[in-house]
This record gives sequence, C-alpha cells and structure tokens, in this order.
Amino acid sequence: MTSWATALLPVVATPVLGAVLGLLLWGNPRVLKVWGLLVAAASLLAVCWSFGSLSAAGEGLPFLLLPPLGAFVSLLGQPAHRSNQTAWLLTLLLLGIGLGALAGEGPLGQILLLLVLALVALLLSVQRALPEPAAWWGIGTLGLGVLSLATTLFAVSPASSLTFLVGCAIALPLVPFHQGYLAAVTGLPGNLPAFLALLLPVLGFHGLRGAIPHLPDAPAQAAVGLALTGALYGSLKALAQSRPAARIAYGNLAFLSILWWYLAETRTTPPQTAVYLSAVVLAGGGLLLAWYALRARYGEVDLRALSGLARPMPRFAVALSLLALAALGLPPFGVFSGLVGLLLAPSYTATGGLVVVVIAWLCASWYFFDLAHRPLFGQERTTLRHQDLRGPESASLALVIALLLMLGLMPSRLFESGPAPFQRTVTLEPPAWTK
Amino acid sequence: MGTGISLLILVPLLPLLTVFLVLIGKPATQHERAKLGVAPMAAAFLGAIATLGVIVSYGPADVRFYDPASAGTLPLPLGFRIDRLSAVMMVLIAGVGAVIYRYSVVYLYQDRGYCRFLALIGFTTFVLLCMVSSANLLMLFVCWQLLSYLLYLLAHNLSHAATLDGAFRTFTLLRVGDAAFLAGLVLAHSLYGTLEFDELFARAAATPGALLLAPGVEIGGPTAVTLLLFVGAMTKSAQVPLHIWLPRSLYAPTPVHALLHAGIINAGGFLMNRLAPLYGLSSTALHVAFVVGSLTAILGAAMMLAQNDIKKTLGFSTIGQMGYMIMECGLGAFSLAIFHLIAHGLFKATVFLNCGNVIHKARQEPVLPPVARPPEQAELSRLAWTTGFVTTLLIPLLILLVTHGILRIPIRDSQGTVIFLFFSWVTSSQAILTLTRLRAVASWKVSAAMLATLLVVVFTYLFAAESFTTFLYPDPGETASYFRAAALPGLLFDGLVAMTTLLIVLGWFFLYARTRGQPVRVPAWAEWGHSHLYVLFMNRLYLDELYAKLGLAVTRGADRLDRWSWGRMS
Repeated sequence: MTSWATALLPVVATPVLGAVLGLLLWGNPRVLKVWGLLVAAASLLAVCWSFGSLSAAGEGLPFLLLPPLGAFVSLLGQPAHRSNQTAWLLTLLLLGIGLGALAGEGPLGQILLLLVLALVALLLSVQRALPEPAAWWGIGTLGLGVLSLATTLFAVSPASSLTFLVGCAIALPLVPFHQGYLAAVTGLPGNLPAFLALLLPVLGFHGLRGAIPHLPDAPAQAAVGLALTGALYGSLKALAQSRPAARIAYGNLAFLSILWWYLAETRTTPPQTAVYLSAVVLAGGGLLLAWYALRARYGEVDLRALSGLARPMPRFAVALSLLALAALGLPPFGVFSGLVGLLLAPSYTATGGLVVVVIAWLCASWYFFDLAHRPLFGQERTTLRHQDLRGPESASLALVIALLLMLGLMPSRLFESGPAPFQRTVTLEPPAWTK
Repeated sequence: MGTGISLLILVPLLPLLTVFLVLIGKPATQHERAKLGVAPMAAAFLGAIATLGVIVSYGPADVRFYDPASAGTLPLPLGFRIDRLSAVMMVLIAGVGAVIYRYSVVYLYQDRGYCRFLALIGFTTFVLLCMVSSANLLMLFVCWQLLSYLLYLLAHNLSHAATLDGAFRTFTLLRVGDAAFLAGLVLAHSLYGTLEFDELFARAAATPGALLLAPGVEIGGPTAVTLLLFVGAMTKSAQVPLHIWLPRSLYAPTPVHALLHAGIINAGGFLMNRLAPLYGLSSTALHVAFVVGSLTAILGAAMMLAQNDIKKTLGFSTIGQMGYMIMECGLGAFSLAIFHLIAHGLFKATVFLNCGNVIHKARQEPVLPPVARPPEQAELSRLAWTTGFVTTLLIPLLILLVTHGILRIPIRDSQGTVIFLFFSWVTSSQAILTLTRLRAVASWKVSAAMLATLLVVVFTYLFAAESFTTFLYPDPGETASYFRAAALPGLLFDGLVAMTTLLIVLGWFFLYARTRGQPVRVPAWAEWGHSHLYVLFMNRLYLDELYAKLGLAVTRGADRLDRWSWGRMS
C-alpha cells in the first residue's frame, strides 16, 4: 500500500464507517445527530492528520477541510427529528466518498466522483420532491455525468478529456449541464441541499484544476462562451424566482459560471480561484441553511408571504443579512475578496468578458439583497407565530459567517496550489482538439 | 516621529469605539452609554485637527500593514495614507460626525431605533474616515461599498413601507456605481499593474496605454479608467441621471440627513480629488465631468424650485450643489471643489440640525394666526439699483481690466483664471440678488450690504483659489496642468461664457423692468415652455417612473425567460 493510500484510508473510512454505525442509533434522532456531528468533527481531524501525505490535495488544507466543515455546520442547525435521519447518514456517506474523490489519485478520484453523482441521482429519483420536468432533467443530467465519467475511465484521449470535462461541468455547474446541480440543491430533504451546494462544486473544481491548464483554444473558447451565458442566464433566472432555494441555486450558478469563465479564459488556477469557490459555496450553503430555519417554522412558503421578521427574530435577521451581504459580494467577506483576487491576479488581463462578470455581480445585489430585505423588513405579520433561531441554528449560521469572514481576510496563499490532480489519467493534447 | 505617525491611524478607529459603547450593554443604560460615546467622537475630531497640524508640519504620513509588492495576495491591503487632502477631509468628517452624534444623543432619545441609528452614525464616520485616508484604491473601494450598504441602513426605518422601498432602490442604484468602480479598478490594475496611488499615477503618466473597444475604435487607458470611476462618483454624489436615490431617502431621521448631506455625498468629489493626477491625464473624462456636473447643477436647481416639500427642496438643493462641485472638478479646479464641499457640508449640516429646533419650537409654542399686513410694495429704488449695477457689473469689469492690463495676467490663454473670475462674479451677483431682492429700501444699508457681499465673495474666492489651492496642491505646475487638461476648445469656452453672461444680464434687465412695473413682453412659446417645464421639474423629470419601468422591464424579461425555460423542459 502506498503512503497516500494509507493516508487516504482514515479520511474516507471515518465518515463512511460513521454513517454505517449511525444506523445502530436510528431510533434516537437526538443521539444520532450528536453522532453525526462527532463523525464530521472526526473527519475534520482525520483530514488534518493525513494532509501531509495526501499529494493529490493540491488546493491546500483549507480547501480540503471545506467538505467536513460543510457537513458539520449543515448538521448542527438541524432539528433532531426522525424525518431528517436519512439525510444525516447520507451526508456522512457523501462526505466520505467526496473526501476520497478530493484526496484520491488517478482513476480512484474519478470513480469516487462518479459515485457521488450516481448517489445524488439515485436520491433524486427516490425523493421526487421536485416537479416532473425539473426532477427528470436533474436525474438525466447527473446520469450523463455518471456516463461521462465512466467513459473517461475506458476511453482514450481526446474523447476521455471531453467526457471528463462534461463530468466536471455537471458537478461545478456550467450551462447547459446545470440541471443536476439545481435539482440537488432544490429537491433533496434536510441538510442535503446545503451540503451538496458545497460538495458538488468543490469536487468539480478539483477535477477541473488538473485539466484546465492543458485545455486547447477551441474548447476553452466554447467554455468561455457558455460560462458568460451561464452567468447572465443564472442572474436573470434568479431574479425571476420567488422560492428562496431556487433563487439561491440560480444565484450560485451565476457566480460559479464566473469561475468557469475565469478558468477557461486564463487557463490558470491561482489560489484565488479556490478562495472564490469556497466563499461562493459557503455563502450559498449558509443561505440555504437560513432558509431551512424559516421553512422549519413556516413551511415551504413564497418569499412574498413573509415580512417584518427583523423585530421578532433579531438573531435570524442579523445572520440572514450578513449571509446575503456575503453572497452578493460585499466586503469584508470571502466572495468579494475571491472575486477581486481573481480579477487582480497577474494571470488575468481585462477582456470583454469583464462586462458580463460585472453585470452578473451587479444583479446579485438585486436578487440576493431582496432575499434578505423582503422577509426581514416591512409590516410584521401578526398572524404568524415567530420564534427566533435556537442555539444550534444560531451556532451553525454564525460558523458559516465566521468562515466567510476568514476567507475574506486571510491571505490567499493558504490555498496555494500543489501538483494538479488526475494529471496521469487525463492528457489533453492541444493538437488533438484543433483537428 | 514614527510612533507619532502610527498613532494617527487611531483617529479613524475612535468612532468605532463609540459603536461598541452604544451597542454593548443593557437596554436600561443605553442613554448613559450613548452619552459616553460622545467622548471618542470628540476625541476623533481633536485627533483629526492634530493630524492636520502634523501633516502640515512633517508632510504626508504612510502607515501600511502590507508589503505593496505582494498586495495582490492579500484580500484587503490595509493601509493609511494621510496627506493634506486626507487630513482636511478628516477634520470635516470627524467634526461634522461629532456634532451630529452629540445632537442625536438628545434628538433621538426614546426613538425605537435609538441605538441602531447612533451606532450607524459612529460606524459611518469610521468608514468615511478610513475611506479618505486609504493607502490604495482597493481599500478605498472597500470603504466605498460599505458606504453603499450603510446608506441603505441609514435611509430606512424597519417597518415603514415608503422608506423600505426608497432604501432598496438607493442600494441597487448605488451598486451600479460600485459595479462601474469595480470595472475601473480592475482595468486600472490590468493596465498599470498597481493600485497604490502614487505608483498608479506615475505609471499612467509614463505609459497611458489604450483599449481597443472595436476595430478602429480606441480609447485611452486613463480615459477608460477615469470614466468608469466617474460613474461611481456620480452615484455617490447624486449626479443626474443617477441622483434619484437622494430625494427618496428623505424619510430618514434629521441627524441622518445632516450626515448624508454633509459627509457621505461628498464622496464623489473626494474621489475625483484623490485621483486628480489620473483625471489630469484625460481631457475627455474631465469634459464629461463638466457636462454631467453642469447638467446636474442646472437641473438640480430647477427641480429644487419646483418642489413643494421642504425636505425635497433641500435634497434637490444638495443635488444642485453637488453638480456644481463636480463641474468644478471637470474644469480642473479640484481644490475649489473641496473648498465648496466643505462650505456646503457645514451649511447643510447646520440647516438640517436646525430643522429639529424649528419643529420643536413649533410644537412647544402656540401658533397664532398671521397678522394681516399690507402687501409689500415693489417699488424701484434708484440707489439700490445703481449700487447693484456698480457692484455686479462695473466693479467686476474693472477687476477684469486691471487683471489683464496692469497685472498682465494672460486671461485669454488661461481658462482657469477666467473660470475663477466668472464664478466669483456669478456668485456675488446671485448673493446680492438673493439677499437684497432689490426692493424699494432706498437706504445706504442696502447699498452697504451689496458691497459687503461682493467683498466677502471676492475674498472668499481669493482665499479659496490661492491659499486653499496652494495648501492642497503646493506644486503650481500641477494645478496648471489640471486646468490645461480641462481646457475646453476656445470657441466653445468663449461661447459658454458669453451665453451665461448674456443670460445673467438679461435676467437683471428682466427684473429691473418688472420692479419698475414696466410690461415685459414674453413670447407665447416661452410661456408655454415655462408652464411645461414647471410640471416636468415638479415631477422630477419623471426619472423615478422611468427607472421603475426599467426595473419592471428587467423583471418581466426574467419572468419570460423563466417561463420559456420551463416550457422547453416540459
């Protein structure tokens, strides 16, 4: 067994075993939740302990810590209820597989990424919480991702490169392969949407990191075009959504499309890309968690049905305001620092795409801001019974805000790149693309 | 001296202490804590004065918490650069902030948002102080954006529907400016590789660069950068057509208005002054600023005259003044703009803070019906008119001839001098008209008031032009280069001066004729235009409705896209 495999074992095994052992606690949701939190914390420690030997984890320790942190905060705010138990165990399972995909070298990483997509597709097909076309499009897109990644394992370059890119475009959503991500973020129960809003893009970015420097001109230009279209499309769609989860999902699509644009335009992955991605997914996940807290109180309501929550729910108001500010790209939070970091990196020279990026950034000030403005202010609805955030809910959101603040203030060199992953498997020869 | 200079950065931090004092503690002690919060605000003001003294004596101070060479890897390159411009602005902001805070402690007492507003006043003062003392463009941009959000918080009252709507629109409109600022900042970094002020100016002057917008269409680097940053300045300083947020924020408490009109709104003028060397490289950007500023000054004043709400009148008056300030920048008179914004800030803060007294008195004192008085007779006083004619037309002409003939200042070649003389003439004429109204008070008092007004205005201009310009921009070559860059084509400039002079003199004759009771024949089209323009200005050019329609069009477009994509999926 090689050293990296030895290091990988505890990273993957801790959450997976935790999920399996969690089945023994099925009858007691309160204990199961505590168990889930302990396993997520143990995974965090396992990643820290093994980090030195995980050569494939090139984005730095903070990036690798994101999935366990995401699992922890998403579990922390959950009410201890039977209906959430499945989601908790699946979170741990997905965490294990996801960490394996991040830290695994060669085909193993791709297989584990494939497994994550397959599992999400399976969950969507079982859950069926979404309206018919959206659910089927989501399942279909994720299925395409599974198929693409499976093909990558057996095909030769350049076909393997293309299929691998498609797989990454499904995890790190790129129009027109974004339906799987949207379905996962809007159609799954419990804390899974918040966790997957973080895990899928992280996995997609990790895969893409290795492929992007070798991307030839034609596909890179196509990706630039799709990314810019996605940024505008996501922004406009987010404006039209009155359901918070859908608005957050489309908003994140717009922001992640900016990342795609940057990667395809510069064909570099400076550490600022990891900062930006981490901040965007954390802000999106945090908003979903905040929305979950509202849903737990008032059910699946429209944004227009709530107003005046600022006075009866001050803790929630502060948390939601800060998360919305972070998500729309205001300083001193990570999304702003990440975006400015990207645009000021030496690898970037101003091009026409900047106009679209600025427009997408501006639109976020409208839809993300409205997401906080509408429910918090205005006439208080006396017909509703208000209850402010409970301790764990507050702690969970406070943790996300603290992380976003840290991302906004810490130097990006902590996300310094190491060796690119998957390089041994995927070889993208420029001449092959231009033929 | 090094430690002393490092201590200067405490000045911006002091208002933050007030914020903590106000926010942390039991509700029962909030008034005591609020009163205690006056001390750090006052200390910040005294510190700002001391800073000004230190800067004048020892030169600019730089305190950086980063290495400028590796600033790119830091999310926020935190640093302070306090020069004379920063120090002057710090004195204004800290002074106005301290007075407003002290006033608010009593004025907002028992208000539901007592702590919230006091903390926001403290925090806004902190952000403004940091903004004016930023060491680089990125830190300035960070503070700039925080101001956008603070304006949203200051402008609304949690549950009042009209303020909520206004605050939301304020934020979205200010974000348009922020977005343009971001694009300008990225472009500046892309072209010149730095955001450190001095280095940026030096590199832009050495290799300005150019952008190819379309095949055959090229724009200079400094022009592109300054125009984008100018859009940012336009939004914060409420320039037409991005001014609509200011009248919409008029439901905020009075002290908030004072802070808004005396501090925050000056951000655009400050930005242009801070980047004066960059603006000095682009005649196009300065000309655009001149046009936008002039339009804002004219339209702002016109809309002010047509409003029937005192707060809206004050709001549009501020817009007009801001237009004047930006116009001064566009003419290359950067130091005059700062002088103007200080004078205007102090004046508006006084006016708004006095509003409370007026309201309080009106509530306390019995209101009696007005005593019937005979209507004031509009008679002609030859003494008043002769003095007016001499002070506003003959003396300025004499000054002009003396300047040109005896002092041998080449007025024809120096648009800056002409602008200066022209402004002093327009201001004194306007002041004389406003103060005396040329009524039939045939006494030496009116004549003396006219002469005193002329002297005050001329001396103020002399002080502003000479002392203040030399103080802010000690290098005369630098000031001259800004005037050169801002110079308009000779014919256009002469035409503008001649047209404005003609309009003012015509106004005089019109007033003269009316005061004498002579019939003034106004053409029918002018009467028609007057009434229609009045309606147009009263409705604020229907710009609010236009923006509302634009917003509606965007949301409808988004809805259509949403429905279309759902249709395709189904």
